[in-house]
Amino acid sequence: METILLFLSSLLVCVAAVTDPNAQDGKDGKKVENPFVYDYDSLRIGGLAFAVVLFTLGILLILSRRCRCSINQKPRAPGDEEAQEENLIVSKAAAAAKETPAEN
Amino acid sequence: MGYGRSDSYRVATTQDKDEKESPKKKGGKDLDDLKKEVPITEHKMSVEEVCRKYNTDIVQGLTNAKAAEYLARDGPNALTPPPTTPEWVKFCRQLFGGFSILLWIGAILCFLAYAIQAATEDEPAGDNLYLGIVLSAVVIITGCFSYFQEAKSSKIMESFKNMVPQQALVIREGEKMQINAEQVVAGDLVEVKGGDRIPADLRIISSHGCKVDNSSLTGESEPQTRSPDCTHDNPLETRNIAFFSTNCVEGTARGIVVCTGDRTVMGRIATLTSGLETGKTPIAKEIEHFIHIITGVAVFLGVTFFILSLILGYSWLEAVIFLIGIIVANVPEGLLATVTVCLTLTAKRMARKNCLVKNLEAVETLGSTSTICSDKTGTLTQNRMTVAHMWFDNQIHEADTTEDQSGSSFDKSSTTWVSLARIAALCNRAVFKAGQESLPILKREVAGDASESALLKCIEDKNKKVAEIPFNSTNKYQSDKHYLLVMKGAPERILDRCSTIMMQGKEQPMDDEMKEAFQNAYLELGGLGERVLGFCHLFMPEDKYPKGFAFDTDDVNFQTDNLCFVGLMSMIDPPRAAVPDAVGKCRSAGIKVIMVTGDHPITAKAIAKGVGIISEGNETVEDIAARLNIPVSQVNPRDAKACVIHGTDLKDLTQEQMDDILRNHTEIVFARTSPQQKLIIVEGCQRQVLYSHANNQNPKLCGLLFCQGAIVAVTGDGVNDSPALKKADIGVAMGISGSDVSKQAADMILLDDNFASIVTGVEEGRLIFDNLKKSIAYTLTSNIPEITPFLFFIMVNIPLPLGTITILCIDLGTDMVPAISLAYEAAESDIMKRQPRNPLRDKLVNERLISIAYGQIGMIQALGGFFAYFVIMAENGFLPSVLVGIRLNWDDRSTNDLEDSYGQQWTYEQRKIVEFTCHTAFFVSIVVVQWADVIICKTRRNSVFQQGMKNKILIFGLFEETALAAFLSYCPGMDVALRMYPLKPSWWFCAFPYSFLIFVYDEIRKLILRRNPGGWVEKETYY
Repeated sequence: METILLFLSSLLVCVAAVTDPNAQDGKDGKKVENPFVYDYDSLRIGGLAFAVVLFTLGILLILSRRCRCSINQKPRAPGDEEAQEENLIVSKAAAAAKETPAEN
Repeated sequence: MGYGRSDSYRVATTQDKDEKESPKKKGGKDLDDLKKEVPITEHKMSVEEVCRKYNTDIVQGLTNAKAAEYLARDGPNALTPPPTTPEWVKFCRQLFGGFSILLWIGAILCFLAYAIQAATEDEPAGDNLYLGIVLSAVVIITGCFSYFQEAKSSKIMESFKNMVPQQALVIREGEKMQINAEQVVAGDLVEVKGGDRIPADLRIISSHGCKVDNSSLTGESEPQTRSPDCTHDNPLETRNIAFFSTNCVEGTARGIVVCTGDRTVMGRIATLTSGLETGKTPIAKEIEHFIHIITGVAVFLGVTFFILSLILGYSWLEAVIFLIGIIVANVPEGLLATVTVCLTLTAKRMARKNCLVKNLEAVETLGSTSTICSDKTGTLTQNRMTVAHMWFDNQIHEADTTEDQSGSSFDKSSTTWVSLARIAALCNRAVFKAGQESLPILKREVAGDASESALLKCIEDKNKKVAEIPFNSTNKYQSDKHYLLVMKGAPERILDRCSTIMMQGKEQPMDDEMKEAFQNAYLELGGLGERVLGFCHLFMPEDKYPKGFAFDTDDVNFQTDNLCFVGLMSMIDPPRAAVPDAVGKCRSAGIKVIMVTGDHPITAKAIAKGVGIISEGNETVEDIAARLNIPVSQVNPRDAKACVIHGTDLKDLTQEQMDDILRNHTEIVFARTSPQQKLIIVEGCQRQVLYSHANNQNPKLCGLLFCQGAIVAVTGDGVNDSPALKKADIGVAMGISGSDVSKQAADMILLDDNFASIVTGVEEGRLIFDNLKKSIAYTLTSNIPEITPFLFFIMVNIPLPLGTITILCIDLGTDMVPAISLAYEAAESDIMKRQPRNPLRDKLVNERLISIAYGQIGMIQALGGFFAYFVIMAENGFLPSVLVGIRLNWDDRSTNDLEDSYGQQWTYEQRKIVEFTCHTAFFVSIVVVQWADVIICKTRRNSVFQQGMKNKILIFGLFEETALAAFLSYCPGMDVALRMYPLKPSWWFCAFPYSFLIFVYDEIRKLILRRNPGGWVEKETYY
C-alpha cells in the first residue's frame, strides 16, 4: 500500500510542477510588458487541471483499495473491517477449541 | 421456590416510583399495577368453581351466544400492539431532535437579522438570508437522511413479525371447532396437543402427559409438566395453569380459558414493556452537553462583542446584527451531517457483523456500557438440552456439547455403552422429523420431549422398537428370544430397583462400594447443574415370560425389581461456543457481566462457571462455608467475590442491600427472577456509578447530584426479558431465537444470536466515540478562522476578510470529507483493554477540546488566514496601515476614488474584486491549515508517525478538499456565482508555514503528553 501511496504523491508533485510553470510562464511573459496585467485565463486552466488531477487521484485512491481487495482476496486486505472480522472468526474457533476442557 | 412472590418488595419500589413519577401523567398508576405480580387465583379454585365463575360447562363448553357476548365485552384475544409512533412524528423527531435545534436557532436568528436589515436599510445584504436558507436546508436534508436510515432498519424489524394467524381448538355447545385464536374468550374450553401454541391463559382440567415449554416466560430450559392439580400458591409455579403463547411440546390437555389478550401473563409483561419510559441515549446526552458548551461560547463571544461594538459607537441595530452574526458564525454547520454520517457508517459496519441497530444513537451506547446483564437461556446457552456427561463402568464420560460437533468424543467401545445406548433408545418417544437425512444429527429437528431428544441425538438411534407398553417411565421391548425390560428415571429410584450393576458388559452384584461410587457420580453431575437420569434393564427369563405374555401395566404382573443398573446420563443446556471468549473480552474491557435468569440457581451457577461469568477460583459465600465447614452466616460476605442470589432472597432486599451486593461482588448470578425483578436489577445496576467512581465523597450527596449512573446493557431473548431490555440503556435481543416482544423492546438485535457480537458492538462503540471526538475537534477548529475576520471587521474597521459564502464553502464543502474520514480512523491503543468511560467525567466534548480547537490550533489557523489576506491586500497596494479604519469608505458605493498606499485610485467594483479575492485566499488558507489539522486530529495521544497514514478515506479527503478549493477558485463563472476569484499560485503558499507550525506544535504537545503522563499538559490539553 505504501508504494502505491508513494507513487500517487510523487505523481501529485509532478502534476503540480507541470501546472505551476504553465501559470508562471504566462505570468512571466506578460510581466515584462505590464506588471499590472495578469494572464488569468491560463491560470484558470492550470488551476482547473490541477483540481481535476487531484480529484481523479482521490477517486483512484479509493477505488484502488476495492480492487486490491478483490484481487488479493481477504487475508492481505488492509481495511480494518476485514481484519476485525478475521479476528472474530479466529476467536470463535479458539473458543470452540477451549470450550470442551472448560466444561468440567 | 418463591418465583416472583415479591409483593412486599414490590410495594417498596412502587412507592419509590411514585415519588419519581408523580409529577408525570396518570399513566404511571397503571404501570405500577402491572409491575405487581399476576392476579390469577383460578389455580386455587376447584374446576367446578372455575366453571361457575365463567358460566361455562366442563363438557359442553360455552354456548355460542355467550362466547359472542364475552368477545364483545373483552375484545379479541390478541396483544395490543405497542403504540406505534406516527411516521410524521418520527420525521419531526429527526428534524428537531438534539443537534438540529442548534441549527434551527441559527437559521431563525439569521432570518431575524435579515428582517432587521431589510427594515432599516434600502439595499440589505443578502448574506443573512442565504445563510438562514442554507442552515434550514442542511437540517432538513440531514433529517431526511437519518429518517430514511432508521426507516430501513425498522423495515427489517417488520420482517420479523410472524404473520401466520394462530388457530385454536375450542369446544362450544359440545362441539369441537377450530377457530382463530383471536376469537377465544374467557370461559372457553380449549384443547391443546403437542406442537400447539397455547391460545390463552388456561386452567388445566385434564391432561395426558402434557408438557409445556415455558422458557420464554420463565427461562427454564426444561419442559414443565401440566396437570389439573394445584401444586403451588404462585400461579407461575403451579402446574395447572398454562400460559398464553408458550408452546405445548407433548401430550394433550384440556383447559378453561381464564384470561385473554392483554390480561394474560404475557400480555401484562408486554404492556409493562411498552409502557416503560426510556431515558436518553448516552450519545444524545453527550451531544446535549456539547450544545451547551458551544452555545455558551457563542453567547459569550456575541455578548462581549455586542458591548464592545456599542462602546465603539455603533448603533443599537448594527450591534444586534453583529451579535446575531457572531452567534450564528459559531454554529458548526457541517457537524450535524458529520455526526450523522459517522454514526450511520458505524451502524452499517455493525450490521455487516450481524448487529442490527434500530436507533442510530444506540450505536455508541455499547461502547460506554459498564455492566452487561445477560439472560441465560438462549443467550448464553444454546437453548437445547444436550447430553453432557455419562457415568458407566464407574467412570464419568464427557459427551460433546459444542454446536458443531467439534469437541472430542468419549470411548464408545465399552459394551456397557452399547447397553446404555440401547436403553436410552428404547425408553424414548422422540423421533427425528422426516426429510432431514442430509443434515448433521445435531441440526435435525426432533419431535418430542427436550430431554428425550437430547438422548436421541446422543445415541444416534439405530435400534427398532418392536412393541411398546407404556408404564410410567418403564418400557418393555421384545427382542428375538426374550423380553428385555428397560427403565429410565430418577437415579435414586432406579437404583432402589437394582441389585446388580453392569461393569464392562458384565453383571456384578451391587455392593456398598458401588453404591457410594454411584452417589458420588450422581452428586457431581447434579452439582454441575445437570439433569441426571438413571438407566437399568433386565433380560426377562423366557420360561417365565414366554412369547405373547400379556403384560398388565395397571396391575403389575411382572418383575420390576432386582434389575441391572447400567449407567447415568446427565443433560444440560450447554453454553454457546463463543460465549466464554466473549465474556473474557468484556472482562478485560472493564465490563461487569451479570447473569440474570429465571432458571434454577444450580443450573445458573454451573453455566456461569462454564462461560466464565464466575471465573475459576472464585467462590460464593456458600462455597466458602462448605470448604471451611462452617455455617453460611459465619462467612464474611466481603470474602466472596462471586455470589448467586435467589429470586426469593431478592424480594427481601432493600435498595441499600441491593446496591451493596452490586457494589461488593464482581461476579453475580441472579436466579429464579421474575420479569419484574429483572427490571429492578437493571435499575439497581444503573444506580451504580455514583458510588464506584465517587466513593470518597458522601454517597448520599452523590446520589442527589447524579441521579443517572452506570450505563447498563441487557441481553435477552424471552418475553420475560423484555421489560429489562426496554429499561436498559441498550437492550440487545436475539434475532433468530428471540421473541417478537423482546425484539420490539430492544435497541439492538444480534442477527446471528451470537453473544460474541456484543464484543464487536463494544469495540465499535468505543471507537466511534473516540473518532467523533476527533471529528468534532477538527470541525470546531475552523470556527475560529471563520469568526475572527468578522470580529476584526467590527473592531478595527478593515474590509471584511472572509464572507458568509466562503464560510459555508468550508463548513459544508471542504471540511466535510476529512471530518467524516476520521470515523474510519483505527484505534490508537487497544480499546478493549481500557475501562469503560465514566459518563460523568469523560465527556464527548470538554473544555480541553474547546481550548485546543478554539484557543490553540484555531488561533494559528486564523493567523495563517490573515497573513494571506494582508499579503494580497499589500500586493494590490493596500498596506495594513491604510486598511485599518478604511471600512466605511471601502463599503461606500458612492466612493469611486479611494486611494491606496501608493496613491492609486480604486472604484467600488475594483475594490470589491480585491476584497473577494481576499475572501478566496482566506478560504484557501483555511483549507491549507486544515490539512495539518486533520492530520493532527487523527490521534489524541500518539504521534502521527506511530499511527501511520493508513486511513485511505482521509487521504482521499485531503485530495478532494484541495481539488474542491481549486475548483471553486478557478472555475469560470465562480466570480459571478459565488464571488470567488482565481488566485495566483504564490498565494496558495501563504498559509503553508502556519500549516507546518500547527503540525509541529501539536506533535510537540503530544510528545510531552506521552513523556509525562498525568502531567500538566495531559491535564490541560488531553481531550
